[in-house]
Parts: sequence; C-alpha cells; structure tokens
Amino acid sequence: MIKKIFISALSLFLLIPAATGQEKIKEVVTSDYNRNSISMVALLRGDSYDSQAASVVKSYKPSEKFDINDLKTKTVKAYKTRSESVYQTEVNEAVGKVGFAREILASIFNRDSNGMMDDKTVRYRGNYDAKDQDVINARAARVGTDALGDLGHALVSGSYIVVTDFSKIERDTDQRGNVHWSTNAKAFAYKIGLDSDSLNDFYEKCWIYDDDSDAVKQAKRVAFQNLDIPMIPVAEASSSSSASTLEEAMHSCISDLIFNLESRIPAWEVAVTIIGKRPLRAKIGTKEGLRNGDRYRAYSYTEDRNGNLRSVPRGFLRATEISSNSGMSIGETDPSKFYQISGLSNIDEGWTIKQSNDSRIGAIAGLKVGSMGTSIAVDLDYLANVSNVGTMSYAILSLGFDVADGNSNYLPIYFGIGFAYGLHLTRFIEIAPYALVALDHMGYSMADKSDDRFLRESALVLEPGVRAAINVAYPLQVIAKVCYDVNPEFIQGSLYKMYNQNLSHPHKSGLGAQFGLKWTF
Amino acid sequence: MIALTLLMTFSAVSANAQSKDRRKSFKSWDNYEITTEKVGVDGTKFVKVWGFGKTVDAATMAAKENAVHACIFRGLPGCATAMSTPPICPNPNTLETHEDYFQTFFAPGGPYLAYVSMTTDGVPSGTDRRKVKGGYKVGIYVQVMYDNLKRKLEADGVARKLSSGF
Repeated sequence: MIKKIFISALSLFLLIPAATGQEKIKEVVTSDYNRNSISMVALLRGDSYDSQAASVVKSYKPSEKFDINDLKTKTVKAYKTRSESVYQTEVNEAVGKVGFAREILASIFNRDSNGMMDDKTVRYRGNYDAKDQDVINARAARVGTDALGDLGHALVSGSYIVVTDFSKIERDTDQRGNVHWSTNAKAFAYKIGLDSDSLNDFYEKCWIYDDDSDAVKQAKRVAFQNLDIPMIPVAEASSSSSASTLEEAMHSCISDLIFNLESRIPAWEVAVTIIGKRPLRAKIGTKEGLRNGDRYRAYSYTEDRNGNLRSVPRGFLRATEISSNSGMSIGETDPSKFYQISGLSNIDEGWTIKQSNDSRIGAIAGLKVGSMGTSIAVDLDYLANVSNVGTMSYAILSLGFDVADGNSNYLPIYFGIGFAYGLHLTRFIEIAPYALVALDHMGYSMADKSDDRFLRESALVLEPGVRAAINVAYPLQVIAKVCYDVNPEFIQGSLYKMYNQNLSHPHKSGLGAQFGLKWTF
Repeated sequence: MIALTLLMTFSAVSANAQSKDRRKSFKSWDNYEITTEKVGVDGTKFVKVWGFGKTVDAATMAAKENAVHACIFRGLPGCATAMSTPPICPNPNTLETHEDYFQTFFAPGGPYLAYVSMTTDGVPSGTDRRKVKGGYKVGIYVQVMYDNLKRKLEADGVARKLSSGF
C-alpha cells in the first residue's frame, strides 16, 4: 500500500513539471489577429426589470474592433430570481435551447426565408480585415486582390455571443431624496464551435444553388434546421455599478464586462508587429478600437535548442497617436504611434505587440511628512493622455490620514484633487509637476449637527509639487514627492483653527515630502 | 615593417580561410525551408523562404539566396493551391560542374538579386523573426522571376533548354 502511494506521489511529482513544461510551449504569443464578430444577448429573469435589461443590452454598441452579427434571438431566459446570481451551467442550459450557431450562420450568410444565402457579408468582412501583407501577397499571386474576400470565410469561426445578466438590482434614496440604482452584472461569452471541416460540411449540405431541384432545396433547408453546431463557453466576467438611473448603471456594467472579457479571450486581444522606431509604429488604429493611452505588451521570439518557438515578453508601451484606418487596406495603412513605458531593451522593429488592457489607474501608498503633519497617504491617479514624446497627463485623487496626531475621536483627514503632467527623462524615470486643491478636515464634535459644520472644520490647502516615479518592476514603481503646502489662516474654518491649535504639530504652510510605492492596475 | 608584414600575412590567411569556408558552405547549401504560398503571377513563383544570419539583414539576404537556390537546384514544393515546380537544373552535378559560375552568381550583391523580390510588408516580423543561437532566423515572402532566371541560366549554358534534346 505504502509502495503504491509512494509510486503515485513520485509519478505526480515527475508529471507536474512535465505538464507545466508542455503548457509553456503552448503559451506562444503570436501576431495573428483577425477581427471577431459578436452578438449581445440579454438574460431575462421573468421580472419587471427584464424590459430595461433587454433594451440596454440591445442598444449597446461594442467597440469598432468587432463586427456585429444581427441575430433574431436577443434574449434568453433563466428561471431564477434576480436576487441571486446565475451560474455558468444555468446559462449553458438557456443558451442550449436556442440554435445560436444556426442564427449566426443565417446572419453572416444573409439567409432569407427560402433558405437562399449569399457571401456578400463574408466577402466584405474579408476585405475589411485584410492586412497590408495580405494585400501585397494577393498582388504577388495570380488570383489577385479579388481573392481577399475569401479571407472572410476564416472569420466565421470567430463569431461569439455575449450573454449578459443583471442581478441584485437595488434602488436607494438618500436623505435629500436623490435616487441611486445599483446592479451587479455578469457576462458569459460563447464561441461558435465551427472549424474548417464543419464549415465545409455546412457549405456542402446547406448551401442552396439556383439550379438545385426543389427536392434538393428542401433537403438543404432541412439540413440547415438540423445543423448541430455547439456554442462553446470561453470566458465569463463580472462587474457592478451604480448610477442615478438603472439604465445608466446597466450600460456602465456592460462596458466593464466587455473590457474584462477582452483580457480573458486571447483571440480578442489585438496583436500586430512593430514596423518602425522613433517613434514606435504599428499598423493598427481606429479599426481595432485603439485609443490614446491603451496599453500593449511587446514580445520577441526565440527558438530553443529543440527548435521550439518561445515568445519573450520585452516591456510595455502605450498608444499615443491613433491612425484612422477604418477602411479597406490598399497595402499602405498609416501606422499609429506608441511610447515605450517599461522593459530593459528598446522595443525593436519586427517585434510583436499584443493588447494588454489596464484600467490606467495607479495607486500610491506611502508616508507623507512635513508641515501638514505625518500622515499615511493614499493617492490614485488616472492616466488621461500620452504624447509621442512620453509626456503623460494624470488626474489625481489624494487622501491622507494624520496618524501622528490622531486618536479614536479625532483623525485629521486630507482630501485633494488635482492634475499632474509627467515628463519622461527615460522610460524608467518620470518627473511630474503637479498641483492639488485639497481640504484638510479635523472632525471632533459629533454633537454639532449644523449644515456648515464640515466647512468650519476644514481648511482649503493648495499643494503644488513635483513627483518622481522610478520603475522597479513594472507595474511597480517607487515614488518620491516634494511639495509646498499652502495653508493660510484666512481660509481656515473657525473650528479647524481651534482643533489645529490642539495638535502637537499644528498643520501649517510649508514643505512636505512623500515616499511610497505605486502599482498601476 | 615587421608589424606590417605580419598584418598582411594575417589578412591573406584570413581571406583565404573565409573563401574556403564559403566554398564549403556553398557545397553543403541545402539546409533551409521553403514553401509555395500561392500560384504567382505569370513567369514568377511566390514562396515563403527562411534564412539564417548573424543579423536580421544578413538572414534576409540569405533567405533571398535560398529562394533562388531552391528554384535552380531543389525545385519548389506544392501547396493546396499550387503544383510543385521542378528545379531549373535537375542534374545533381550542375553545381560542381559550374561552381565558379555559381560562386559569382551568388556572390554578395551578385546577379541572383535581379531575379528575386521581397514582398514582405516591411521587415521580417512576429514569429517570422526568431533569435536563435548565433544569430537570427527569418522567414520572408518573395517573388522569384522564375522564367527570367531560367532563360538566363539557359543563355549562359548552365541549364539545358527543353529544345536541346530534339
């Protein structure tokens, strides 16, 4: 018995590294990217929110990087109260009841009521998806550029449906009578289970030609109705949001869900190669839904001694100048520009870059010392814009808790909003002048219920300064800030002045410094 | 004076060694991959070919040489949409018989370049540009002016004309 256990354990010990090794070989990032098509489907629960959910999902316009398949079925139903979340198996069951794969094929091939189909959409999509290399290849071949439309047939297998569910919808009214809606949302993405063999099978058995006899036509119609192509679950994502209307909250959730799904479905992540340096350029743009500040990761390729291909991550970059390429390729697409933000090596021509979504939000945690006391500071910044030369604009939120003078009744809080403008000396070092407008608040008496109490307990503070960020291991950075806090007495609340005098180190105008770490999400 | 003599001797030995190396690699020149992409426009072959070199540029040049070499000595494989193409010089002794001719033909910047055009968009990129031990391995799309190449070799007496057997 012990021997068996020992042998099993040894086998497991030996197999795990082997399996991991195989996994690594599979994880080669390639620059193959083709457009995908999606259809949004709402999951209904049979309650009063169904109409809003269906309406919001139907009206959602995905990014330009997706083609849209207009399906007949836009909703599926789950028999579960909205107070509970749905599980993948329940959605699978609901999706399985509808022939989504048939509907996708009917939409793509413009199938009419007589079962007649055409390839206009497929050819259009093939031409639209064609890259410059495809156009050049077509010109070098005898078939010519007319054959570019044929590329569209390969895109059929890149068809997805996204089933969206809203749960735990709540309506709150605050003391002033303002209404807030909140909802949780989940999205389940399914891909059509169609390979080239089954697509050929579909053409052979279901495609009706004008000169087919009536009997053959009828047989092909029946064959289409009997098509058994599965929808394969590929990813799920969840989100939550709140807003003044339920529709707004739902809409915000859907945007988040699609954003999250992009990171979980590799085929949805745009990949392309770098075609030039100084500045870095790549042939993607509005057609791929590229926006200023979007993050990509660069890869180069090596072969190990067995000839296995490996992709090597080489750093991150952000889109700066976006080209408008929303048209058919003629082999001379204008490239978009990028700025490298990390990586030891300079990103080189020919390397692959792949979409690597982030929220562009950086969180800084650190310790601030100076004339405004000693506080634990938490800053959030949002990257709003990146230029070709690497200047970056940030919106900043800053929060500080004066721990040195705080006690259970009394915790001075510092809250500010502002703007920073980052200048990159190299990609590793950013120097960002910034300015904050902040409120330094000292709450003490809970008995005081007057409306202006908050203002009387606060002081307006201006904080100009300079922030330096150094890459340690991106997205981790070390941050150092030097600032001058302007806290003049004439804009201090009356209670603030009083409480401030009680502090062992009263808050006043003067120099401050902050040190901490930043993580970009 | 002694230093100058030593330098000249060293240069001569080095050049001779390089020439011998090239001759050696010239004869064992068969280790490359080539695939037919599609049927090329009239008189051309449209292929994807791989090359190896210390730099990407050197590997690209090697790939171009390989494409022309394949058309002359190896022939081109078929693909789903194109038939295979026999070599222009099917006789295995052609290279040895005309070694000096081909040394000149395939010399750096030599006449072979007139019969091959790279159709890769920009530089070799993505998985077609691989760092390997000792340099780079690149895959490029090229168009070989097959008919022109054949006519040239026939005119130079290296390849036999089809009519020569009658």
